[in-house]
Amino acid sequence: MISTSDRRYSRRDTALLLLCLGLSLFGLFSPVPWGRRVADTLRETVLFPLVWLQTRAEEGRTSRVRFRRVIFERDSTAYMSQFLPSLRAENERLRQLLRLSRRLNTSYIPAEVLHQPQAMDGRTLLLSAGSRQGVTLFSPVVAPEGLIGMVSSVSKNSSVAMSWAHPEFRVSAFTVGGNAFGVVAPSNEGRNGEGALEFRGVPYRDSVSLGTLVLSSGLGGVFPKGIPVGTVIGTVREEAGWERVYRLRPAANPGSAAHVLVLVSSPQARDLAGAFPSDSLLEALRLDSIARLRRADSAAQAIRAARAARRDSLARAAPVPSRTPPSPIQGGAPPSPMRSGTTSGPASAPKDSAP
Amino acid sequence: MSSHRVSRVQLLLVMLLLVVLQFYVRPRLWDARISPDFLLIALMLFAMRSRPGLAALAGFAVGLIADTLTPARFGAGALAHTLVAYLASWGRAVFFADNMLVNAGFVAAGLWLRDLIVLVTSGTDHRQIITELTIYSPLQALTTAGLALIVLIMFRSMFSVRLDA
Repeated sequence: MISTSDRRYSRRDTALLLLCLGLSLFGLFSPVPWGRRVADTLRETVLFPLVWLQTRAEEGRTSRVRFRRVIFERDSTAYMSQFLPSLRAENERLRQLLRLSRRLNTSYIPAEVLHQPQAMDGRTLLLSAGSRQGVTLFSPVVAPEGLIGMVSSVSKNSSVAMSWAHPEFRVSAFTVGGNAFGVVAPSNEGRNGEGALEFRGVPYRDSVSLGTLVLSSGLGGVFPKGIPVGTVIGTVREEAGWERVYRLRPAANPGSAAHVLVLVSSPQARDLAGAFPSDSLLEALRLDSIARLRRADSAAQAIRAARAARRDSLARAAPVPSRTPPSPIQGGAPPSPMRSGTTSGPASAPKDSAP
Repeated sequence: MSSHRVSRVQLLLVMLLLVVLQFYVRPRLWDARISPDFLLIALMLFAMRSRPGLAALAGFAVGLIADTLTPARFGAGALAHTLVAYLASWGRAVFFADNMLVNAGFVAAGLWLRDLIVLVTSGTDHRQIITELTIYSPLQALTTAGLALIVLIMFRSMFSVRLDA
């Protein structure tokens, strides 16, 4: 049996429910501007503290998001700046490779070096080009700076190159002046952990000065002529007075090579020296031309001296008075523009440039 | 002051804390569509300990707040919260409402029903109604019920009071 108080409570509950439902339905079906006006009034009066609280929370969230975004941007910038020098270096190397490919007068295949465990551990390199791309066994591998090595094994889509640091690597070479021939091989005595090359089999009489560029000679049928191999940086040993062995600073570093060119045409077809106009090569060519001019100058001087001597001897043999005595200048060769003012006798050509 | 009155004051303080959480913490949480509804927890816990008429009034107030602070159709929230609160208070007599899991289940069911009423009365598109009621509402109901369970565990002694006694 329901008590009177319970019945009264029940009626009150129903009344409250009907009141709330009625108000809700009124708000629901009333014109929209009315509802907005009521909402605006409530927001600015009774609910103002709650709105203020929510605004602070939204500000905190947005500022936290902004702060996080700024941190992300800063981290990204720092991360990218770490790679910027290496990216620039790689970009420059790729540009050099492009320039080299334009200068090469032989066909080639570009390849990427796929595996470089350490900066200086480049005895063998895995290349991204194989027989499908046209790479063959013993194809020379070059970088913009010079010779890297040769292909030692080929598969369909990759190949293995033996770099100059490999103990079995040999290349026939000559100095850029052409005065010394020999064989370049890896040196066992690298300086400061760096790999080095030896220019072996140079005759004792053919001395090579420091800084001379050594190029591949094209002999042997593997490497074309004219690829820079290294620069002479010292003498390793002299053997029994008949041979000198020079230390070379390698032209190209296989440990840091990321992109290379594999030459695929006949190695003896053309001279590639023009494709590698490095500073040392240009300097060597310049020195060579100066030496050639000096040689010509000294020859002209010798001719002039011989003529003058002949005239003197003729004059001594037949002392006929003449009205116009011949000048030693007349009849001589014109002075060379390269002749220095202090040169009085025949200038001797540098030993590294004499053939 | 009697202990009964102290418990009521404490309960109201917990409700106030939930209101603060709703407006200060909830905006900082993840996606608003699945983050717990602190206001509904307060309403359901209050309604389950009150008479239906008082619960309907509280639901109307909460719905009015929701209508005022959200750009939905004015009156839809009030209607939905009124009905949900009244049904929660009425259903307390039917179910074993002293169990915490039943309380959490009430909260989850109330949230889903609230969403259903609001979506229908707001004239929402059918496809959106289905998406909301099958994906987002259940997820929000789960998070809200979980948080209601935590609140009940933390303030168990305060929620043992019967406000209609």
